[in-house]
Amino acid sequence: MGVILEDLEQEVKAIHADQNDLNVVGKRIKRIEALAKALGTARYAADLKRDDMLIGKALFAKHPHALIKKIDTSRAEELEGVIAVMTAKDLPGRNGYGILIPDKPVIAEKKVKYQGDPVALVAAVNEEIAKKALDLIEVEYAVLPALDDPREAMKDDAVLIHENHPAADKGNILTEVSLTRGDVDKAFAEADIIIENLYETPMVDHSYLEPDVCIAEPDPITGGLLLIAPAQFVHATKRSLAPVFNLPPNKVRVLSPVVGAGYGGKEDSCLDVCSIAGVLALRTKKTVYFELTREEIFRNTGKRHATYIKHRLAATREGKVTAIDVETILDKGAYVSMGGLREPTHAVTQRTVMYAGGAYAIPNARAKSYSVFTNHPYSCAMRGFGAPQAYFAVESQMDELARKLEMDPIELRLKNIVRDGDRTIFGQVMKKSRGLGLEECIAKVKERMEWEKPLERTAGSRKRGRGFSTFLYGTGVPLPFEGASCYATFQTDGTVSIAVSSTEMGQGLLTAFTQIAAETLGVDFDNVVVNISDTDASPDAGPTVASRSTTVVGNAIINGCTQLKNRIMDFASRELKADSRDIDIKEGKVFIVGKPETAVPLGSMVAKAFVNQVPLSATGVWYPPRPTFSGEDGQGDPMHAYAFGAQGVEIEVDTETGEIDIVKFVLACDVGKAINPVNVEQQMEGGAAMGIGWSLMEEIDMSNGVMKNDSFKNYPIPSIKDVPEMDLIIVEHPNELGPFGAKGIGEPPTVPTAPAIRNALYDALGIKFNKIPFTPQRVIEEIKKYENKNS
Amino acid sequence: MAKNISFYLNGEKIEIQVDEKDLLVDVIRNRIGLKGTKKGCTNGDCGVCTVLLDGEPIRSCITLACMIDGKEIMTIEGLGNAENVHPIQQAFVEEGAIQCGFCTPGMILTTKALLDKKAKPTTGEIKRALSGNFCRCAGYSKILKAVKTASRNLA
Ligand code: FES
Ligand code: FES
Repeated sequence: MGVILEDLEQEVKAIHADQNDLNVVGKRIKRIEALAKALGTARYAADLKRDDMLIGKALFAKHPHALIKKIDTSRAEELEGVIAVMTAKDLPGRNGYGILIPDKPVIAEKKVKYQGDPVALVAAVNEEIAKKALDLIEVEYAVLPALDDPREAMKDDAVLIHENHPAADKGNILTEVSLTRGDVDKAFAEADIIIENLYETPMVDHSYLEPDVCIAEPDPITGGLLLIAPAQFVHATKRSLAPVFNLPPNKVRVLSPVVGAGYGGKEDSCLDVCSIAGVLALRTKKTVYFELTREEIFRNTGKRHATYIKHRLAATREGKVTAIDVETILDKGAYVSMGGLREPTHAVTQRTVMYAGGAYAIPNARAKSYSVFTNHPYSCAMRGFGAPQAYFAVESQMDELARKLEMDPIELRLKNIVRDGDRTIFGQVMKKSRGLGLEECIAKVKERMEWEKPLERTAGSRKRGRGFSTFLYGTGVPLPFEGASCYATFQTDGTVSIAVSSTEMGQGLLTAFTQIAAETLGVDFDNVVVNISDTDASPDAGPTVASRSTTVVGNAIINGCTQLKNRIMDFASRELKADSRDIDIKEGKVFIVGKPETAVPLGSMVAKAFVNQVPLSATGVWYPPRPTFSGEDGQGDPMHAYAFGAQGVEIEVDTETGEIDIVKFVLACDVGKAINPVNVEQQMEGGAAMGIGWSLMEEIDMSNGVMKNDSFKNYPIPSIKDVPEMDLIIVEHPNELGPFGAKGIGEPPTVPTAPAIRNALYDALGIKFNKIPFTPQRVIEEIKKYENKNS
Repeated sequence: MAKNISFYLNGEKIEIQVDEKDLLVDVIRNRIGLKGTKKGCTNGDCGVCTVLLDGEPIRSCITLACMIDGKEIMTIEGLGNAENVHPIQQAFVEEGAIQCGFCTPGMILTTKALLDKKAKPTTGEIKRALSGNFCRCAGYSKILKAVKTASRNLA
């Protein structure tokens, strides 16, 4: 092992040779907005509420699946202090919205499909009156059976949730995505070993701590609307909601202050609150404040897709995986959201086929995923976007294979991982030039885990075990429009303004973008200000999702800054009478390379350029190679950047209480280049902690479409006591297409945790846990079952 | 029913009329206008609304405003400001203990109460004290480090 690491180190040194002269990028710079957050002065959307705003409230469905027979709002309307009551018939425009397709009603008209469907809206002078008004609205329902299980819902005789869904394939099946490669049947017929298992993963909540709110303000000049809300995609919010308001998109302005985190959820939930506040503001011609309570956030907003996965894997006696055959059923919930339509917007459903074979070069593959409507909250984007589910299955399968072969699980993985020139099951060739640090991640985790040392198995009721997993994760969205734009401007004193529509939601993008701009322009970090998430101030940078902001938007910023830099260098060449290729800008000075005495402060050069008709603003743009993914066989090059990683855990299980203690947790991620290592560590720890919550404690409990645990009391998330100390390793194999080589990091750390813990559990107890979460109760149940079977 | 109360907020005497149902968090945020105290669940579960009542951390979202008559309340604004950053706030910034920041004010005030009582807490004591304050961004190791740094710097 030592030898491999040394070899790798040589290689890494060579890769990084040209990055040594970076001044700002790669530095542990303190987050720009941290002090304001620590002082309590940072303003989130709810902090902008004023006394003169009307309060909006919504009456949500009483039953998760029912026909609306009658609504009587007359008593609510008569209540003093109520300014407006709205039902579907009062809407100004299209009664539907959604990021991919407008299938979610602003107010349900004939039918409710889950607990989160609004049936009536109220605007009143204060909260108390608004609440009272809701109580006075009478709704008559004809209750329909609610569908909880997508495996049942996809059957031909199941009740239809959407009678005429604009995109559904068949019945309650929204979409079916397939991938085929090679000759799967032949590979299974010839296999030495076949591993077959069923896996289940739960629906979970994002549980961002900042509730969803929206302030909607009519614009008296344009007749349009200003929407202030925590958002992950301001431009799409505008585009999707403009028809709802019956306004052209240029009259809808969406603005997102700093966001109290989103983890994927606020891409959709933002539309939920903005649509309601917006129609109430238009109706009343007043500013409306609308927020969801925590219980409403649980019941109404998006969730991580629950999945049911049947995974078959074929291998040779030597441990080469020859084929996989996988079927995944996803619980779509009531609406499409990011569930995925037909090509090319398969979204989460597509990722479950794409990652069905993990980080391995498997020549034959068949994967089929069905996204099926139920009467649950809509499933949407959540950190990892379908990958954690797929990896839970495939990485557990790899463990089973290692066990069958009596082979070390790391050795087995090294036999199968993708290397330079190998194709994934979706047919994309993995290239060293795009950064391929998987092997280094594996080697480092193995070393830190002291994998070669035999595990100390403790005696008594506490049992120890170790588990391992790996991943590859494509960052960015594989959609034809993938790309980003921004504005870059020199002020006349040489300071810089960047306007970009991405949002700061805790990932540290303000700081990373500032670093990228400062590095590109050769100015001080403190001389750059990044203005974020205002549809009127900046062009579309795409969504703040998919771990794409640093990589895709970062490139757009480099492009904008490079245009500015070139203009100034060009102008300076005339001023300094030198070839523009010999001019450089560094540390706020313009100079002829090799002649420090020629240095002029950048500010005065920019001021001079300004009066000489040099434009000081540029639109920065960047597009990756056009993503491809065939709807027929799932083959293509969907992403331009792949992050890699490996994780090892050592756990101790108390067989009497069922509690799991994580005693060692090592995670290595190949991020290409850490623009700011502090941010990367934060993302790694936070992402992994979310993986721990998903593995050990979180599960939305739905019964007949009704959520049983809609508060933190019965849906606890990891506290400081639940998250172990982590050994985090940043690995950097740069992508030639990334800004300074960066590949993205937001989601990948969530991917490997569950299977690593599951494999450790198997190691500790000799019991397969193929369903998460591994709550103490479930651990005890499984131990009992196992003992009964073996006694 | 309306009730007149007076209390000290960040060292300043406040006299205000509140309804008996008014929550302390709403009085602080909406009536007095200090927005640093956050509201995450209004159910006593998440800890982002933590303020100090006579030095003890409490959940202002499940505390009735009328109950604090005559008491002393500290919110995040009372701990420090831009000119005078408190060492705990400084430590959270320095150690990278802040991501989305929504949990931060509550986390910092809980830390303040802990360090006032115990200048050099053990790791276990810190975890126990902070276990009621969720951080979904889960920068827990950096938060732990920040508390230790603050404890050192305050000594
Ligand atoms: S808002 Fe008070 S505990 Fe959550
Ligand atoms: S920093 Fe986001 S919840 Fe703690």
